[in-house]
Amino acid sequence: MKVSGSYSVSVPQERAYALLQDPAVLTKCMPGCEGLDRVAENEYAMRMKMVLASISGNFSGKVRIGDANPPDSFRLIVEGSGKIGFMKGDGLLKLSPADAGTNVQFDGDVQVGGTIASVGQRLLDTTARMLIKKFFNRLATEVAQSGEQRLAAD
Amino acid sequence: MIPQSFDYTAPKSLEEALALMEGGERKILAGGMSLIPLMKLRLAQPAEVVDLGRVPGLDSITEVDGVVRIGAMTTHHAVETSPVIRAHCPLLVETAAQIGDVQVRNMGTMGGSIAHADPAADYPAALVALEARIHLVSAHSDRTVVAADFFQDAFTTAIEPGEIVLDIEVPKEPSNEGSRYEKFPHPASGFAVVGVAARIRKNGNGIAMARVGVTGMGTHAFRDRAAEELLEKGASIADAAAVVGSGEQPNADLFASADYRRHLARVHAVRALTAALSRAS
Repeated sequence: MKVSGSYSVSVPQERAYALLQDPAVLTKCMPGCEGLDRVAENEYAMRMKMVLASISGNFSGKVRIGDANPPDSFRLIVEGSGKIGFMKGDGLLKLSPADAGTNVQFDGDVQVGGTIASVGQRLLDTTARMLIKKFFNRLATEVAQSGEQRLAAD
Repeated sequence: MIPQSFDYTAPKSLEEALALMEGGERKILAGGMSLIPLMKLRLAQPAEVVDLGRVPGLDSITEVDGVVRIGAMTTHHAVETSPVIRAHCPLLVETAAQIGDVQVRNMGTMGGSIAHADPAADYPAALVALEARIHLVSAHSDRTVVAADFFQDAFTTAIEPGEIVLDIEVPKEPSNEGSRYEKFPHPASGFAVVGVAARIRKNGNGIAMARVGVTGMGTHAFRDRAAEELLEKGASIADAAAVVGSGEQPNADLFASADYRRHLARVHAVRALTAALSRAS
């Protein structure tokens, strides 16, 4: 399944690039993510608990950052598996300057398998788009808060 | 197909049910038409299920001051056959009659369906078009939320932890108004691939008021205000239907691509609006 879209982040490009690779920020912004542990350069083990309506499941997997080309683009690879199924997402994020900060354009491919995919096919696309939207909304909140903190520190 | 073991509680009063919902990870069983299959597949594994089936009064349908109040535990079949709803909210009758199959309509409840908030469920289209209000209560709060704000995202509603949908308040449709629900059902599941609910009130030969609710197209049901405005400004049904869902990125799955869904939404908008107009007087 292909996913693509673009979101804007209200910080300069270098800062947006750093934020999107910061494990602390990723942990806070990825829906359901309970923690990222560094296992190698640009590679993290991930614990995740997805709760969606009455469906819930624990996933474990990894997050990898590849093809880093700061501050313009990088590849984010997320893999997870649990009792109710598995997923693998591979996306290229491209950053470009925009009026109000940075524009983040992503193009990716998501594969979902197992029970969740066989009974939930009709909802995969909707759900994937909702989760991506949530990620960027939380990132926006995170950016706003960190901005306030910096102001307070000045 | 055997669920993980869980605790089952069936409170006998609303107070008891609300007190139970105050504590922890409890899941409400309303009609069970979505929850039970998910539990049997072990996609849902609630530790405790609270069955509202024995709380008295939750399935009542009453009409007070221009508002029809439909208890959350009212089954789709009861909505479909209630003389009160038929007289005052014919759009809901039509919508309920098109849900799933006979078994689902006999067991499934209105409150359960809206709380689950499946993006392809039928009620949300009608409820946003009817500007219905969802009445939510918890042990220490009591509030209503308009339908357009209640459905927030796929499987995501305005319900806060501890809250239960008590009833749905639907303003009566005036007798001179016409309405219609048109859907393209998924051949296997019966869910709306796309569904459009339309309401029209006439003013001489023109349209005084139009409401368009769309389900199945995006992550949640929405009111298409652009199409409504065009109709109210005198545009033709074909022109108004052509903008339905313009701002949405339609869902795509193996059965229907995004472009096909957009096409379906427009075709069904024309059908629903034409029928609603012909029923208005």
